[in-house]
Amino acid sequence: MGSQFVDLNADGHIDYLTATFDGSPHVSYGSALGFGAPEHLKDAQGERILISSIWDYEASQHTDVGRAMPDGAARGERCISALAFDWDADGDLDLLLGSYENGHLYRQMNEGSDKEPKFTGRNIPVLAGDSPFALPDKMTAPRLVDWDGDLDLDLVAGSFGDSWGQGGAGGGVYLSRNRGTKGKPEFGALETLIAPARNGGTGPTRPTAGLYADATDYDGDGDLDLVVGGYSLWTPEGRALSAEEQATVDRLKEDQKAIQARQSALLQQVQEETAKAAEGLDQKSKEYRAKWSEVYRKHNDEFAAIRDELQAVTKKIGELVPFAQRQAFVWWYERL
Amino acid sequence: MKPARITLLALMPMGLAWADETPTEVRFAEPKRVLAGDAFLGERRLYPSPVLHDVDGDGLKDIVVGDLLGAVTFAPRVAGKTVAFAAGRPFPDRDGKPLKFHNW
Repeated sequence: MGSQFVDLNADGHIDYLTATFDGSPHVSYGSALGFGAPEHLKDAQGERILISSIWDYEASQHTDVGRAMPDGAARGERCISALAFDWDADGDLDLLLGSYENGHLYRQMNEGSDKEPKFTGRNIPVLAGDSPFALPDKMTAPRLVDWDGDLDLDLVAGSFGDSWGQGGAGGGVYLSRNRGTKGKPEFGALETLIAPARNGGTGPTRPTAGLYADATDYDGDGDLDLVVGGYSLWTPEGRALSAEEQATVDRLKEDQKAIQARQSALLQQVQEETAKAAEGLDQKSKEYRAKWSEVYRKHNDEFAAIRDELQAVTKKIGELVPFAQRQAFVWWYERL
Repeated sequence: MKPARITLLALMPMGLAWADETPTEVRFAEPKRVLAGDAFLGERRLYPSPVLHDVDGDGLKDIVVGDLLGAVTFAPRVAGKTVAFAAGRPFPDRDGKPLKFHNW
C-alpha cells in the first residue's frame, strides 16, 4: 500500500489516503485528535470506489465488476494505489487510481467541492503520451512530485516484477513528466529512473522486486533522491565442503524430499476428504471453504509434526549450504 | 544538483521562444539500505512502501512505511547534520493505537 498525506476534505487537517489489495482506496481522516479509524472512500452514490476487481468482504472472494469503467466492462484490475490530485485545477481534489494488473492509471473526478468531495464513480483512463498509462510488470504505487522543477506535478512509479523467483526479472522505477498546463495535465511517455535488474547475486545490493518509490530530497542537497522499498533476492556464497559434509548434505536433502512427499500426500488426502464431505458444493463458496477448514483441522497435528520435521532438516542443511534469501528493505538512491 | 530538463530561452527569427532539450540522463549512486536505529528499515515487512512525512511535527521528514497487510510504522528523523532515523514504531491513531488499514 502506497500512502499519501493530504487534506482530502479541506478541513485543515492532514488525512492519510491509501489503497490496498482489497481493490479500493481507504482514508483515515485526520483531526485535532489525530487519525481516525480507516474507512473505504466512497463515491457520490455511496459506493466503494474501485477500478474493477474488489475483495468482497461478505462473500470472502474477489469480485469483478465493471460499474466504474467507461464501457461498463469488468477488466479484472485491482486498484491498489490512490492519489488525490486537483486534475482540473477547480480547487478540489480529484482521484488517481492505480491498478496492479497492467499498471494502468485512471482518474475519477470530484464534482463536489473541496470540503465535500463527490467522486463520480466513473473512471477515465490516464494517458502517457498517446497511449494509456501502463507501467510494465505491474504497478506498485505512483507518487506525484515536481521532478523537473517546472512547477507542475509529474508521476514517479515503481513496478513489482517477479518478486519470488531467484533469477526472475525484477521491477523498476519510472518517470512520466507532466507536459501539460494547469488544469490540463498531459503525462509523457515513461522514462526509466531505475532500470529493472534480475533477482539473484550473492548479497543484497539493491531492491529488485516490488519497488515502492518516493521522491524526496533525502540528504538536503537540493535535488530529488529516491527512497525505495523493495525485495532483494540473493544466495550467499557457500564455503567448500569436505566429502563427509557433502555426503551429509546429500542425505539431508533426500530426507527433505521424503518429508515434502509426505506433506503433499497429506494435503491430497485433505482434498479428497473435503471433496467427499462437500459433494455438490461450489468450490468457491463459503460453505466449501468451511468444509475444507473442518477437514484440515482434523489433520492439524499431523501437518504440524511434518512442518517441525521439515524445519529441522532444512536448518541442518542451512548450516552447511547457504539458502537463497528473500528479504525486503528500504533503500536510498542518492541522485548524482 | 542537475536539472533533469534544461529549458532554454532561444532567440528565434520571429522573436523569443522557449525550447526544451532532450531530458538529461538521471544518475544515482549505488543504493544504500536505510537504517532505523540499529535495524534495516523495512526488514521482515511484506512489500514495504516508504513515504517521507513529518509525523511528529518537529519540522523533519520522518519515514512512514506501509505494507501489504495494511500495517503502518514510522521511523522518526533524528535532528543533526547527518541523515539518521530512530527505530521504527507503530504509526498511532487518535487513540494511540497502531493505525491499521483493511486488506483482503
